[in-house]
Amino acid sequence: MDVTPQPQLLPEPRRLGTLARLAPEPMKVVLNWGRRYSLWVFNFGLACCAIEFIAASMARHDFIRLGVIPFAPGPRQADLMIVSGTVTDKMAPAVKRLYEQMPEPKYVISFGACSNCGGPYWDSYSVTKGVDQIIPVDVYVPGCPPRPEALLQGILKLQEKIARESLGERYADGSGAAGGNGAGPHPSPAALTSALVTPPPAPAADAGPADASAPGEGGR
Amino acid sequence: MSPVPGHGLAKGLAVTLRTMTRRSVTHQYPDAAPHLPPRSRGVIALFEENCTVCMLCARECPDWCIYIDSHKETVPPAAPGGRERSRNVLDRFAIDFALCMYCGICIEVCPFDALFWSPEFEYAETDIRELTHERDKLREWMWTVPTPPALDPGAEEPKEIAAARKTAEKLAAAQETAAQQTETPEGGA
Amino acid sequence: MTETTVGIGGAAEGTDMVLNIGPQHPSTHGVLRLRLILDGERISHAEPVIGYMHRGAEKLFEARDYRQIIMLANRHDWLSAFSNELGVVIAVERMLGMEVPERAVWTRTLLAELNRVLNHLMFLGSYPLELGGITPVFYAFREREELQNILEEVSGGRMHYMFNRVGGLKEDLPNGWLGRAREAVADVRSRMDVFDRLVLGNEIFRGRTRGVGVLTPQTVHAYGVSGPIARASGVDFDLRRDEPYLAYGELQDTLNVATRTEGDCLARFECLLEQTHNSLDLADACLDRIAELPPGPINQRLPKVLKAPEGHTYAWTENPLGINGYYLVSKGDKTPYRLKLRSASYNNIQALTELLPGTLVADMVAILGSMFFVVGDIDK
Repeated sequence: MDVTPQPQLLPEPRRLGTLARLAPEPMKVVLNWGRRYSLWVFNFGLACCAIEFIAASMARHDFIRLGVIPFAPGPRQADLMIVSGTVTDKMAPAVKRLYEQMPEPKYVISFGACSNCGGPYWDSYSVTKGVDQIIPVDVYVPGCPPRPEALLQGILKLQEKIARESLGERYADGSGAAGGNGAGPHPSPAALTSALVTPPPAPAADAGPADASAPGEGGR
Repeated sequence: MSPVPGHGLAKGLAVTLRTMTRRSVTHQYPDAAPHLPPRSRGVIALFEENCTVCMLCARECPDWCIYIDSHKETVPPAAPGGRERSRNVLDRFAIDFALCMYCGICIEVCPFDALFWSPEFEYAETDIRELTHERDKLREWMWTVPTPPALDPGAEEPKEIAAARKTAEKLAAAQETAAQQTETPEGGA
Repeated sequence: MTETTVGIGGAAEGTDMVLNIGPQHPSTHGVLRLRLILDGERISHAEPVIGYMHRGAEKLFEARDYRQIIMLANRHDWLSAFSNELGVVIAVERMLGMEVPERAVWTRTLLAELNRVLNHLMFLGSYPLELGGITPVFYAFREREELQNILEEVSGGRMHYMFNRVGGLKEDLPNGWLGRAREAVADVRSRMDVFDRLVLGNEIFRGRTRGVGVLTPQTVHAYGVSGPIARASGVDFDLRRDEPYLAYGELQDTLNVATRTEGDCLARFECLLEQTHNSLDLADACLDRIAELPPGPINQRLPKVLKAPEGHTYAWTENPLGINGYYLVSKGDKTPYRLKLRSASYNNIQALTELLPGTLVADMVAILGSMFFVVGDIDK
């Protein structure tokens, strides 16, 4: 039941430079630190969420405080793409092309219900049900539209992820994912079709605090 | 418009200068939590003790992003010789916040006040599956639900208060008549 | 007049250059694509290619009941969500023959005007941005945040209010909100001189917009252009005055329909600015009136299942960007049989085919920005 096909990515040269590969551990931490706090962002503004994205870049919320720089001249100079708004089937090729133009390492934040999985237009004939069907997404920000603060929190989440990650692993997994089933660091859309969370096996007599945690554990 | 060239530039710089002397409007979000109004639609909290598994919320949801599972259970009669009763027990209550469009229809239709808005918004995830929150998480959000704001003095009083007041008035009237009835015979005697 | 083309080999192909603007282009604030044919620096042919944001809302309306439609209807023009909701509920109320409580009528008018200010502020900020002045947008968003706070306090949403219901509003105003709203309106008004003087008084801004992209009244009528763009060309038509809905009938003294006759980019911007000032005045008038109203309900009790009777109606409202109409056909079901949406930007943007040819590429952005469109409103 392959409802959402694997995103077919370009055969990019996804490999580490000698310097990054041979660098000692402290150096890698420094590199990650630099990567984390200078995210040049490319706003893929599509709909309502784009207005909240603009609001987040304005004086009140000002995400430059967090090291996110909204002045990328184009996708080729950007590290982070924020897809904010409804991706339609007509727009999807452009989203994918611009994603492919971005240099590695690149990150994607899906901002809002529409780009997470279609949102209000989940039953529309012309809307792509989630941008993760065409490009890998690192952080999903829920909301319709999310508040600017929610975007800031999504950015913090991404920065944590960047701080933890090792580029070597990222690329090793990335090449594996491109060849076969999704085991990469990105959530694979194919896995989204997995079965629903099963209800707790034993019928709980009453919803006590001890039983309340059971369904959550069953799901993961 | 202006006879002096560069007049516009000077005006612009004057505005900048004036703004520079004012306090900045920036909110230091990760350090300082934003002050959100109680009606703010951040996340849906579940008060599961109130839920009777009537499924109205799941049915009315325009996105169908609420998943409810339940089973029936028979309760032994309360008094000996009574009838056995069956009731619904909630097994699973999950909301897919990736799909949710925050319209609040579920909260509006809930007849037993089991769903509430909470202004919490910090739940971005790196995996879309983790945006489907189960009932234990939804129950936790219940602690963040603020008290609703008082209504404008020009507003009609809420129907709960109106009903309660009507009952209280009726009760008071009944007591009064009862008191009068007991008083009158005494007065007569 | 016949045109003869003599072709020798491949040279017969025109030397015209085809230039694609968009679909993702910073100056289109959205995903509008323009296909321009250039003759040197001059545009000889322009065609807006739309549909990159087509989400099929009209079809989705048919599968949703009237409360769910409100939620979907506010999303097509995301900058004027409240006015969009309003059209739907007015249509359904008219079909049902339902009276809306006075308190709801006035509150709706107030919120619609605040929403208009919000919408206009966005364009007052983004238009100078497209012309190269980055500062005004920061001021615009400072004011927007102020008003959004007010609207969030009453409705819970910053952009999509979902506050209208058939027969009134979702719930009553919170205590003390009227005072805070009045304060916010006063604050915004006190800082509007930024746009009056900083933007409108700027020589570069005036130089780039005066006499550029003149839209004639004939074109306005031919393409069904509406809103501030039409009024800037001297077409004096405003539904708030000419076919009053809500409480606009009683606000005629305060309502001032801004018109210009030049029809150029500057006139369009001036119209927008004047309308913003007027909307703030209207909001104040509404606030005064709500404070005087006797206590009362803000909505009607609705049946469990709301069905519009069989029939059809057309409800149009003066949205911030122009006329927004809903043609509702009901067969007596829970859901409409058809809900046709007439959105303002769709018509407004069609005039670009007339407006752009003959202008310079450098003026293209100035003209495009002055059409004040929202892509979701074009593509629905």
